[in-house]
Amino acid sequence: MLFLQLLINGIQAGALYALIAVGFSLIFGTTRIFHFAHGATFTIAAYVFYHLYAVAHLHWSIAVLASAMAAVLFGLALNRWVYIPIQKHEGSFFTVFVAAFGVSILVENLCGMVFGRSYVSVDTTLSRSVEIAHGLYVSPLSGVAIVIALLFFGGLQVFLMRTHTGMALRALSDNPELVRAYGLSPRRLSMSVFALGSLLAVPAAILSAMGSGLQPSLGEHVMLISLAASIVGGIGSLRGAACAGLVLGLAENLALAYFQPQWSEAVTFIVLFLSIIVRPSGFFGRVIAS
Amino acid sequence: MLAYLLNLATLVCINAVLAITLNFIMGYAGIFSLAHAVFFGVGAYTAAWFAMHVSASIFLAIPAAMLAAALLSLVLALPALRVRGEYFVAASLGLQVLAVTVFSEWKSFTGGLGGLIGIPPVSLFGHDVTDPVQFLLLALCGLVPVMLITTVLLRTSFGRNLKAIRDSESASYAFGKNVAAIKTLSVAISAALAAIAGALYAFYIGFINVESFMLNTSVLLMAMVIIGGTGTLLGPIVGTLLLMLLPSLFSYMTFLPQTQIGAIQQMAYGLAMVLLMIFRPGGIVGARSRKAV
Repeated sequence: MLFLQLLINGIQAGALYALIAVGFSLIFGTTRIFHFAHGATFTIAAYVFYHLYAVAHLHWSIAVLASAMAAVLFGLALNRWVYIPIQKHEGSFFTVFVAAFGVSILVENLCGMVFGRSYVSVDTTLSRSVEIAHGLYVSPLSGVAIVIALLFFGGLQVFLMRTHTGMALRALSDNPELVRAYGLSPRRLSMSVFALGSLLAVPAAILSAMGSGLQPSLGEHVMLISLAASIVGGIGSLRGAACAGLVLGLAENLALAYFQPQWSEAVTFIVLFLSIIVRPSGFFGRVIAS
Repeated sequence: MLAYLLNLATLVCINAVLAITLNFIMGYAGIFSLAHAVFFGVGAYTAAWFAMHVSASIFLAIPAAMLAAALLSLVLALPALRVRGEYFVAASLGLQVLAVTVFSEWKSFTGGLGGLIGIPPVSLFGHDVTDPVQFLLLALCGLVPVMLITTVLLRTSFGRNLKAIRDSESASYAFGKNVAAIKTLSVAISAALAAIAGALYAFYIGFINVESFMLNTSVLLMAMVIIGGTGTLLGPIVGTLLLMLLPSLFSYMTFLPQTQIGAIQQMAYGLAMVLLMIFRPGGIVGARSRKAV
């Protein structure tokens, strides 16, 4: 029964991790920019939602919309004023990574200063658990998380397969030079992919705010998970990132059945390590090991 | 005032060793490690354990610390260096998080969350070094050899191999260089030298716990190296000086809310990193565009 409970918790966490991981993997796979500030996007979306819904008591639709706008604007601003200038004159992996890292530190501390460093959470009826069987507690949030994740993935598939921008993004992740030869602008496409990737972090942020609570350092944790999921799933593979996100969510929760809670974060990284040793290219990735 | 300055100077020496060793792999080998605080911690814990249970002699504790850190670095290097740079960042991040959990749980060796107290002062030829001035001299005796070793290594063929690998790994392969072995060796050297700083830290404060070896410390060390200038000899020292003097500077600005000083400091590092990467990727000491040294 404990196992079943942890399984359900794991799927709920996994669905959210999958959303975040796919956002990061989309950005990294398409533009090859190591967008280490993806966790900052998550933090901003979560805190904007928290502030507008739980503190200012606005209607949830306004809060969700504002949160989505904040996340997308942040992603676009970051691309326009930090990543693109860096890529113009040097753009090595190192420079982009350090700049993204600097931004994530800035955002984390800014949120800590403005909203406080303690745990805050959004109180909703969605997070109230119901005992559906003896010892088994499920809240509507689990169902909502899974449904929303599936909806977003379905929408993403449709976008990438059926729309022109989506096809251009897939082309960009495959061969940037050819895209330029076709007359499309990789810079404009990178703006679209940053908007899309940042948008994918928003539902996860809102659901986390409702379910597990927020802290400024959560962005760091989220970033590590999405990085781990992208690598375990295979860089450039969205399906891989989603599956790996789910697997990591399950692993983190199921580990509670065998280890003490302190080790649950470590389990994520043990999975990452084993994955790098056993299959460096990830589940669905292209082979890259030397 | 003198005691304050001596303390600051000793901590600057210890952190400079860490920055120099991190620059060795980041600036010259192109390996971005977020796990440097782990080797700092392993060095500190090993030296402390050694001093408490075997001998407090500096000539035994420090080599033991160096050996432990070098062995641990092999654990990190061997799987992760088979693959590209991004993977090493992720693996080092993983090692850092994992190590913090291990440090907190392995109570018999690290004292768990409470840490190790009552570390005996280090003994040099039978004389216990407790006076702050003497310890500063000892710390300098740790800093100068580390600087010399890294400078000499960089001037030899090993250093040229590292720079070749940093600039183009495939070209190095084409020239027949055993890239994996060279990278592993450089990580091991960097870890072993970082352990010296760890040992000095443990003996200086007499108390260590996991709080000093977390991701924040790794981030701070990375900031020191980057802001000072990667791939330069003076860069890490400039970065260390700047980032260690900054907290004192901020505390003099009384118009800032005192409870937020920590956050403001971190924001200053973050902002410095972003602005430097956009306008001056070589750091303060480095060239305008990152030219090879």
